[in-house]
Amino acid sequence: MSILLDDKSAIVIQGITGKMGRFSARDLTAYGTRVVAGTAPGRGGLEVEGTPVFSSVAEAVAETGADSSLVYVPAPSALDAVLEALEAGIRLVVYPGDGLPVADAVEMRAAARARGAAFVGPNTPGLISPGKAKLGFMPSFCYRRGGIGVISRSGSLSYEVSHRLTQAGLGQSTVVGIGGDPVKGVNAAEAVAMFDADPETAAIVYLGEIGGGDEYDLARYAQGPGAKPVAALVVGLASPPGRKMGHAGALIGSRADSHAAKIAALRAASVAAAETVSELVPALRGLVGTG
Amino acid sequence: MTRPRGRAFYSPVLMLEYEGKRLLRSVGVRVPEGALVGAAAEVDGLSLSYPVAVKAQVRSGGRGKAGGVVRAEDAGAAKAAVARLMASAFDGERPASVLVEPWVAAERELYLSVTVDGGAGGFVVLVSPRGGVEIEGGAPPLRYDVGAPAAFRAHRLREILAAAEPDAAVREGVVRLARLLLRLAATRDCTTVEINPLFVLAEGALVAADAKIVRDEWAAFRDGEIAALIAEDRRHRPEAIRRCLEAGLMLVPLEGEIGLISGGAGMTMAAMDLIARAGGRPACFLDCSANPTPAGYRLSFDLLESDPGVKVILVSIFGGATQMERVARVMVDIVAARTARKPVVFRLNGTNAEEADETLKRHGLDNHATLEGAVAAAMALAGGGR
Repeated sequence: MSILLDDKSAIVIQGITGKMGRFSARDLTAYGTRVVAGTAPGRGGLEVEGTPVFSSVAEAVAETGADSSLVYVPAPSALDAVLEALEAGIRLVVYPGDGLPVADAVEMRAAARARGAAFVGPNTPGLISPGKAKLGFMPSFCYRRGGIGVISRSGSLSYEVSHRLTQAGLGQSTVVGIGGDPVKGVNAAEAVAMFDADPETAAIVYLGEIGGGDEYDLARYAQGPGAKPVAALVVGLASPPGRKMGHAGALIGSRADSHAAKIAALRAASVAAAETVSELVPALRGLVGTG
Repeated sequence: MTRPRGRAFYSPVLMLEYEGKRLLRSVGVRVPEGALVGAAAEVDGLSLSYPVAVKAQVRSGGRGKAGGVVRAEDAGAAKAAVARLMASAFDGERPASVLVEPWVAAERELYLSVTVDGGAGGFVVLVSPRGGVEIEGGAPPLRYDVGAPAAFRAHRLREILAAAEPDAAVREGVVRLARLLLRLAATRDCTTVEINPLFVLAEGALVAADAKIVRDEWAAFRDGEIAALIAEDRRHRPEAIRRCLEAGLMLVPLEGEIGLISGGAGMTMAAMDLIARAGGRPACFLDCSANPTPAGYRLSFDLLESDPGVKVILVSIFGGATQMERVARVMVDIVAARTARKPVVFRLNGTNAEEADETLKRHGLDNHATLEGAVAAAMALAGGGR
């Protein structure tokens, strides 16, 4: 098991003829992911990296049985592409792009929920279930299969931490980048619930940052009965208040947004909370031993 | 690197009060009929009924408490107030103009806002029966988690208001306004539309006495007004920062000695935190992941080379979509071409990291295996921090 994505997932890459689309067609396939189709409006009939290209997601689904989508289109076309995938019956849609208007993220999230599908993004590298499949552009060597479920608001930080976990012998069930924007498809609380229900996941690692309330949702979970062990990293202790640190969501606007307040709340909820990236693996080891 | 004060501290897409009120009026929200002036003499040309409110147009939140709003009983007093406000600074920001409005007699003041909230998965409506400056220290506002604008239900908001607002006419007015603000936020890409105070007049009418509207900078491609706000903001930034913004580099200047060039917001903060824990100070938050090109990295180097406070440059990148062997080649070129002698420390990892490592080593450059090792090396070269 794993969450959202496994070796049975059949992938369609929307925008497969672009630079990132071609790269992922190669890279996902090399990882053993079942890439069954690509789309590019008006360019059906082509082949990219051995993958058949269709003009619409509906055609791709009908011809190949695709059930998961990775969307590489620029922000102005993203809402249309994600809605097209959902209406074609795709169950998992990843939009990695950043710079998406928040109103469009709100619509994507609502549309996915209305159909009982999952939308991951925006502003994310995607997700990977190590040893099974990847649906994004994270560097594959950072991951190995195991029992740690990882949730991250930041892409590059998730590579760094997954690499450390892998080197420490702590493999991962799924690593999901929920994205750095304030409004997310799958949010922290929802990802936690999925890992909680996943039998392969023994412990949860959460990579958070200043700003937003996701860390408090995590604390609520950890305090509940029967919660799986949780370790968390919060970055931004050196960030001054009132300044947006790259991510639209990474802003200390109130006391609850701060590094200190989040660490305190997580620790009060028995989460093994790391104040810097160096402390995370030791904190997790304290929970799960050597894995 | 000097930390910006004044308007550069605020979001480029935070509108001034008069801009926000113009937007509110356009969707049918009642606002006082004011006039904008840039000098005291312009007051003579206005047809006003006194008293008036004379209001400095600045982004600073504490404007009222800082004396930025003045009541004037006649034209002489209004002119004096305009002259004084135009010569003042509020949290480092000089007003570009002054708004002169009829003084509105309020029975009481409410608070109403619509804002983006991650927990709600979209928009929330916040209402407080006590607005104005009291909102800061008072009870938290009533909260209606709407999510997508289409999910707004007047009867839900009515239920929430019933507990705190006894006046049915005011409740209905607030419900009507909340829907207008949601529609404005959704159609004109606003992340916050805040009316504080929202005046209740004697006859029960609601008037927006102030407006704080934040637009969504990512929607500039479809809204010329947002693009204009960003362009105007850039004109007021120091040249180095303007060049970074135009190149898509995320830059927040700080005041330290470690010039950090990084990729990805989370990794940038993680590296800053390790620098701080080692007793050092990052010179900046500088995230190049949106423009990992020779031009982007060269600009980052130029910025840090020219900053006298920066003692060492630390390049820390863990690339996913960014092909690291290309980054390594760019770094080799930059180092070969530079005349400045500030030491540079590298930690490159991620996609194609092995080739990146080889490229650096072939050109005599060290690539640190860990972030901790790179930070320690940078600290040593900077002289051990403070």
